[in-house]
Parts: sequence; C-alpha cells; structure tokens
Amino acid sequence: MSTMPTLIRREFWEHRALWIVPLAIAGLIVVAAMFPHADMQLDSADVATPQKHLAVFAMMHSALMIPQFLLLAILLPYYLLDCLYAERKDRSILFWKALPVSDAHTVLSKLLVALVIVPLGVYVLTLFTDVAASGVLALRMRNSELLRMFTSWDTAIWVRTQALILATLVMIVLWYAPLAGYLLVISAWAKRNAFLWAVLPPLVAIVIERIAFGTSYVARFLGYRLRLSGFGKSIVPAGTGTDAASMLDAFRPLHALTNIDLWLGLLATAALVWLTIRIRRHQDES
Amino acid sequence: MNQIIRAHALSKSYRGVRALDGASFAVEAGRIVGLIGPNGAGKTTALKAILGLTPFEGELAVMGKNPYTERDSLMQDVCFIADVAVMPRWLRVRQALDFVAGVQPRFDRARAEGFLSKTDIKMTSRVRELSKGMVTQLHLALILAIDARLLVLDEPTIGLDLLFRRQFYDTLVNDYFDKERTILVTTHQVEEVENLLTDVIFIQRGRIVLSTPVEEIGTRYLQLTASGEQARLARQLQPFYEREVFGRVVQLFEGRAPQELQPFGEIRTPSIADLFVAKMQGEAA
Repeated sequence: MSTMPTLIRREFWEHRALWIVPLAIAGLIVVAAMFPHADMQLDSADVATPQKHLAVFAMMHSALMIPQFLLLAILLPYYLLDCLYAERKDRSILFWKALPVSDAHTVLSKLLVALVIVPLGVYVLTLFTDVAASGVLALRMRNSELLRMFTSWDTAIWVRTQALILATLVMIVLWYAPLAGYLLVISAWAKRNAFLWAVLPPLVAIVIERIAFGTSYVARFLGYRLRLSGFGKSIVPAGTGTDAASMLDAFRPLHALTNIDLWLGLLATAALVWLTIRIRRHQDES
Repeated sequence: MNQIIRAHALSKSYRGVRALDGASFAVEAGRIVGLIGPNGAGKTTALKAILGLTPFEGELAVMGKNPYTERDSLMQDVCFIADVAVMPRWLRVRQALDFVAGVQPRFDRARAEGFLSKTDIKMTSRVRELSKGMVTQLHLALILAIDARLLVLDEPTIGLDLLFRRQFYDTLVNDYFDKERTILVTTHQVEEVENLLTDVIFIQRGRIVLSTPVEEIGTRYLQLTASGEQARLARQLQPFYEREVFGRVVQLFEGRAPQELQPFGEIRTPSIADLFVAKMQGEAA
C-alpha cells in the first residue's frame, strides 16, 4: 500500500513520452559528442583569463541542458492538458474512481509529476549526460592543446554551475506553476478538444479587450507570465555585461523569490489546483 | 440486522428533472440485490449516490458512512464496476495488478494472478490488445481479489455476448459471493440475473415500486393463467396486471391465497421478469 508512489508510477505508464524522450535526447547528446564538429570555432581570446575560461566552461556544461529543457517546455504542457482529459475521453475514469484514491491524491500526483518529478529527473539525467559527454570529448580532444583548455575539468566550477542551474530550474518551475494549474483545470473540465479550450479563451479575451477598450492589458499580462524575460530581470540585475563571465558572476536565481509576482502566481496555482480537484470530484459523466 | 445500505427519502435532480424522487430502501449484508428498472428510472443515479460520486438530498448511509463526504475511506470496502469492458486501453495487465495492489489495501494479488492463470491473458498484454471477453476476465480477476464488503455493478455486462455474460455471473456467484459480502447489481435485462438474486428492488421514475426478498415473492404474488371466461370471473379478485397470451389470459394478483385462485386456472409464482413487467406497466397506467 503506497498510494502516491503508485499514482506517480501510473503517470509514467500512461505518458511514456515523459521518460522516453529525455532518455533519447540524453543518448543523442552523448552520441553527438563522439563525432567531429566542423563548425566548432574557438578563439584563444575566449580563454585568455582564468575567469573567462571558467565562464566558457560553465556555459558549455549548461548548454547541454538546453535541448532537454526546451523539450520539457513542450512535453509538460501537453501532459498536463491530457492527464485528466484522457481518462474521460476513454471512459476509464470510473475504473480509477472505483478504487480508494481521492480526487485530491489523483490531481496532486499529476501536478507532482509535472512540476517536481520530471524536471528533477531530467536535471539528474543531464548531470549524467554532461559527465558522459564531457568524458567523450576529453578523450577525443586529448591531443588538441586549445581544446584541452576548454574541456579541462574544474570540479568547483562544475558544481557551482550545476547548483545555479538547479536553482534556476526551481525558480522557472515556480514561475510557471500557475500555467500548470490552468492546464489542469482545462484538462479536468473540457468535454472535448482540450487544446482549443486552453488556447482560445485567452486569445478571445485579448481580442475582445482590444475591440471594446482599445487596450491590451490581458495580452501584456499573459506575455509577462509566459515569457521568461520579465522574470529573468529579477535574477540577472540590470547593468550586467553581456559577456559570459560577468553573467555568471551576476546570476542570482534565488533573487526571483523577492519577486512578489512569483508568490502571487503560487497562490493562483493553489486556487487552480483546488478548482481542478473540485471539478474532478463533481464530474458526473452519464 | 446488518444493513449495508440504508436510504431514506433519497432524492436527486438534474437540471430540474427528478432522477430520484424520495426513494427509500435498505440492503442487508450477505444478499445479492437487483436494482431493476427501465432506462432512465434512476438506477444509475442511485448507484452514483451510493458510491459517493454525486451529492444527494435525503438520507443515505453505506456501512454507516455518508458516501459523499466519506467517499475515500468508504471505497476501501466497496468495489465497483460500471462496465466490465471499459478499462484504460494503454494499461498492461501487470500494471493493472501493480496499481490495484498499490492503492487498495484489501487486494490479494496472488488470488488475482491465480484467476488470470486460468485464462489466456498474458501479463505483458495491454488492455487494447485484449478481446472484450478478456477485458471482462481481467476486470473480474481484479475485483474478485478485492476483499470488499459491498460490490456494486452497474449494467456490468452491456455489450458482451451471451457466453461472457453467463460466465461473468457464474464466476461472481461461485467464486466471490459469500455471507459476508453483498452485491448490488443494476440491469434492465432482468432474465439474466433472475436466478442469482436474493432480493429485488424495482425502481421507476425515481421511486421504489417494490422491494422484497425473492423468496417472499411467492407468498405475496401469484400468477394465474386462465381461459377468457375464467379470467373474467377472476377479475373480481382485482388482478393488478393482465395480458393475453395465445388466447389465454395471464393475471397477476397481490395478497391472494392460492386457494382463492385455484378454481380459475393454473397458478404459479410469477418470475421476476413477469413481475417486473406487471409492476412497471401497472404503475405507468
């Protein structure tokens, strides 16, 4: 008897893309490291000072994560939109409801998968990918003096980089949590075509506002919540240089916690999750 | 008296339509109860209320609990099949066992596996690869391995062919049912469950028309088959239902002694199906 772990396993049985895609990408990255890159252009000026070298080192090791997290930005919304919709579409909801699992448990298991398990799992996966790919690169380039400088391992910087990435990841997840809540509500509520129901209401709201009042507050608000740039201002202070070294030094992901909008978003998330649980509880399919 | 379900003045409306209209009934432990009614009579609504899937008016206690507010703990003792042929299509057989074992403390995995080993179902198959009959068997294997006190079945065999329907009910009675357990089944195919029920509850337009143990039907109701002439005479005893079959008249009486009716023709205890039809048409008239 272990309800929550069982519910979480269930999600990965149904939505296999959640683990297959990140594993496939990780495999591709390691394989890609084995082949020569014709366009790899290096300038010794980039590594002229130790500080610059560290910055480049950090950039290189965080770059490996980018494809993974871009993919999550597609996989997770799709998952959230589908997770409570599919069980109604295939009429299996009564099979699930026949078992002693509360609606709150069910909904929370899905939120947990999307906001904690998958992001953290992918993060850990990228750590292994990074070590494996770096190892492959180091082996291949052991004869190139210049490249050795790039690939020379620096554990302290590596740990610092990974910690920064983890902190950023947590902040990004917290920032987008209300979006997850919104998608869950639509997923639990839409009778058909959950995707349209998720996308159309905001678009309609924007258009109506534009026509009726000639303003664009909704569009601006949504743009602010959906883009990372507004959120990013609080973690990269204004006036930071654009070169890698000063970026790395100034980067303070935990500063996002001082952004009141992040906390307001979390409040909204709690409300949306509560609403989702109520919708699933009261669903009366006949 | 050990009442598993007790409903008093149970009501429920959907957008102004009364699906349940003051229904009162009780289900005792160790019985197989058929909740029988035409389509739209309120059967499924009653089950949904019993299973805590929908709010209701009136009083309803399932094993002493309010099913709506105490649903989560109640479902440990209650098992429920809406339609045996519907299970999530992506689910593998082994995953189904893992899942139920993970969330249902009363699940006996070995028992379910034992049941499955007698079938052609493979542990690695997905539900979508199984035939409808196999899905039924899988669903049964899961349900039979749960030591629930109340099993609720809502039109469980819809869409199955006769062989699987028969097999389903046979397994239910032989491998599952005992004095500790209670089964509540709704169906509009009365003939199918007639021989296994211990109690019947007839429901029509949200009201309970009849609620009786099957063994008492014989003492309360009699069916008389007589010629037209005799039937006219018997009509003085006020049958509540009458129909003509091959030139002979079939009449149903309530509360008459066999001696009163014997002079007019053949008498026997009406089948549940006959009684159902009589009650439904009698009420409708």
